[in-house]
Amino acid sequence: MKMKKKTLSKKKPVIPPMSMSLEGTRAIKTGTWRYLTPAYQNKVAPCNEGCPAGEDIEAAMVLSGQEDYIGAWEKITKENPLPRVCGRVCFHPCERACNRREYDEPAAINALERFVGDRAFQAGKSFTPIEPKRKEKTAVIGSGPAGLSCAYHLASLGYGVTLFEAEAQLGGMLRYGIPSYRLPREVLDQEIRNILSLGVEARPRTRLGVDLKWEELKSFDAVFLSAGAWKSLPLRIPGEKAAGVLSGLEFLRKVNSGETVDLGERVAIVGGGNTAMDAARSTLRLGAKPLVLYRRTKEEMPAWEEEISEAEEEAIEFLFLSSPVRVLAAEGKVSGIECVKNLLGPPGKDGRREPRPIEGSNFTLPVDSVLSCIGETPDFSFLPESLKKTAGAVFVDETGATSLPRVFAGGDIVDQPRTVSHAIGAGKRAAMAIDASFRGKNVAEVLRAARWGEKGSLSMARYLAGGADGTAPTVVKFSDLNPAYFQRRRRKPKEKLPASERASDFREINAGLSPDAALEEAKRCFNCGVCNLCDNCFIFCPDMAISARPDKQGYEINLEYCKGCCICVEECPRGAISVEVQK
Amino acid sequence: MKKLLTGNSAITYAVTMCRPQVISAYPITPQTTIVEDLSEVCSDGRLHAKFIRVESEHSAMACAAAACATGSRVFTATSSHGLAYMHEMLHWVSGSRLPVVMVNGNRALGAPWSIWCDHSDSLSQRDTGWIQLYCQSAQEALDTIIQAYRIAEELLLPVMILVDGFFLTHTSDTVDVPDQKAVDRFLPAYKARYKISADEPHTFNIMADTSLFISFKHEAQKAMEEAKKVAARVDREFKAHFGRGYGLLDKFRCQDAEVILFTMGTAASTAREVIGDYRQQGKKVGLCRLRMFRPSPVEEVTRLLGGVKKVAVLDRDNSLGAGGIVAQELKAALYGAARKPKIYEFIAGLGGKDITPETIREVIAKTLKQPNPGSHPVWMGVQA
Repeated sequence: MKMKKKTLSKKKPVIPPMSMSLEGTRAIKTGTWRYLTPAYQNKVAPCNEGCPAGEDIEAAMVLSGQEDYIGAWEKITKENPLPRVCGRVCFHPCERACNRREYDEPAAINALERFVGDRAFQAGKSFTPIEPKRKEKTAVIGSGPAGLSCAYHLASLGYGVTLFEAEAQLGGMLRYGIPSYRLPREVLDQEIRNILSLGVEARPRTRLGVDLKWEELKSFDAVFLSAGAWKSLPLRIPGEKAAGVLSGLEFLRKVNSGETVDLGERVAIVGGGNTAMDAARSTLRLGAKPLVLYRRTKEEMPAWEEEISEAEEEAIEFLFLSSPVRVLAAEGKVSGIECVKNLLGPPGKDGRREPRPIEGSNFTLPVDSVLSCIGETPDFSFLPESLKKTAGAVFVDETGATSLPRVFAGGDIVDQPRTVSHAIGAGKRAAMAIDASFRGKNVAEVLRAARWGEKGSLSMARYLAGGADGTAPTVVKFSDLNPAYFQRRRRKPKEKLPASERASDFREINAGLSPDAALEEAKRCFNCGVCNLCDNCFIFCPDMAISARPDKQGYEINLEYCKGCCICVEECPRGAISVEVQK
Repeated sequence: MKKLLTGNSAITYAVTMCRPQVISAYPITPQTTIVEDLSEVCSDGRLHAKFIRVESEHSAMACAAAACATGSRVFTATSSHGLAYMHEMLHWVSGSRLPVVMVNGNRALGAPWSIWCDHSDSLSQRDTGWIQLYCQSAQEALDTIIQAYRIAEELLLPVMILVDGFFLTHTSDTVDVPDQKAVDRFLPAYKARYKISADEPHTFNIMADTSLFISFKHEAQKAMEEAKKVAARVDREFKAHFGRGYGLLDKFRCQDAEVILFTMGTAASTAREVIGDYRQQGKKVGLCRLRMFRPSPVEEVTRLLGGVKKVAVLDRDNSLGAGGIVAQELKAALYGAARKPKIYEFIAGLGGKDITPETIREVIAKTLKQPNPGSHPVWMGVQA
């Protein structure tokens, strides 16, 4: 009895203080219960898909949120060499695509792009010159955004590029179309210098068909045609030959070249597009009194909303539902304009309601000049007959190739939306297509692999990687996000020069974001579809099956323990985890 | 370094020096300034601890428990209704053998509403398996917190440190704040023997079958018994390090005493004066302050009170339908003693009513005068 007691007391307690498993739970692998499997899979953010220039906006926003603006600039300029330009003049379809729009207000991507571009500029960032590694040379005709983009990307790929420009300076529509109050010339000059520093040969004052024959381009291995659309459509009304009737583009070209233009006191601007807004606002800054005549109502105006609202802030007068029918002249010079009032009829082919003149409603306005801004069309006079054209555009296929071998085209000369970012995208597409054709690849196929989403936006990073690099092609919708993790926060409004200070000169009117505002905007970004290491999945996993990857650049799921509850998928704020159904 | 500190400030200093890694707490009067100050030291970096803001005391204790189970040193503080709200988690913590340290600012439980001191809140939790140490001064509160981590972590038992609301929490006193290095030497970092870890997964708090449950409770009971020795040893070591010790029972002029006043908390410091007066009159009166309520230091109590004629128990609490809780504990402790004193029971100071020198004088006078205690406790200061 005594002996037995002694043995017992010597024996270590068999149970721990707490009721717990002694053997551990590694033997019980709960992963066998699973019939759904979560998997990390980055997806395409809608802003990237929506960017005609194909920027990796989402990645730039993540880096900006970490205050790595130089990193953000490098991400952007991988795709688009003109962030300072685009941050000022792009009509930002990315923001229209932004999922945050459905939550409160879209992230201020455009303003942030400008901030990133300006920051990099202040930090002295420029493109690193590349020795031409490849023998093929490309001629780029026209140095607008499409031509600059194509030249930049080809030079970055190691090709020789000669950039031909008819005007005295490079920039095309950026320089001669867009007024400097929207795009200061030093900003444009700096970004162009940056592109040229890559070894692009610029040949200004070289007009195709005048200074350079089409046949001379045969010495190049490829041609990118990006001469734009510079011919204004005529008003087709009596009296338009009178002195004082100018095309809007011609007027802008003169103003932007520093030429003096005498408009007189009262100026009628005919049209409702961006050229009309730029012409009217430039007129105001020259000290004249602009009056915009538009045949439909404000609702149907094709100008960007911001251009219209800024024109309104500047108290520019609009006369809607009015079409000019005759320019009145005295001694060969404009003295007035006769208009007719319209009613809106049923919607036409483009969905906008068609204006219908009201008989007998004619009225006249005393004006000193008339600026016709009813549209522009490309000039084909310098192009060979053999180059196929459609109505008002050079024909291109989905790769940007024209009907002639190794001749590509893009920008306003082809049938595409006439925006800076579409032009930049077309220039990049041509650079990829030219590179692919030099390498004997199937151009259409490699371009498809370089797409962001389904809207034709192309990524140079994807092109160079030969595909999406593990990212799913799916574009993240608002319904794929978990908005519970985001606080409602208003977007930072743009700071602008007061309207009262705008009429006297061509100073830039937008101030750009302050560093605080920029950071706040970057952090408002949902980072749709891309893991940004927020730890939510790690925190929520009830099985502790999620852990940081060894490289700390993401997470991994231990499927031996993952029971497939997919709480991680549900709790991922940004839709970066997908569910695979077990077969 | 000597500082003029309120009880709550002294507690904040102590907690900070003990370097807890996680603090989760919910504010409640009169404990609030502890939590406020701790949130500050956490946010300004003086203490590298995660401060978890919670929505209730139940959650405060649940968070502390969970953090402690991962091997962290933790702290929380509460009072009165907050403590009552924690009740369920108090059992879970002690049952899980987690060395959580908590301060409770003693405050009456409603109804009616009261924010003032009595011991009914903590004594209501006497059966939850927590060690309970009642303090008398800001200095003692500071010292006891440092001791408490040593006791808790050695035994794997939670410790509750009790300080009288307002009388101690909100009054200022000179406090000797020890050097951080000295505290580090006395209290090394906590190394959990069992902890939740993704590297070595275990199931914790599995349902214990009927044969095991009682064994877990028996193990905890043994640890509680052990706690008396451990607490006494830690107190001695503390004295060796810092020059201050308190014992499980804080005795004052008990050596030849025929009558001993037996109480807890700040009333004891008031009583000291009165005892001094009686001694001057040649009355052999002493004072014993019960510092450790749980585990019940039966042996020491029996040793001290076995030879005394009369004991006046001053309870700042009352178990409705039974009487003063300290008195009941005392009677239970003395039941098996060979010689038993007569026990005079007094209930005083409920809901913050002052226990003045007059109150104590009256208690001692009654005890000295009456040959035998009455059949019921005497309630002091009840309005007719």
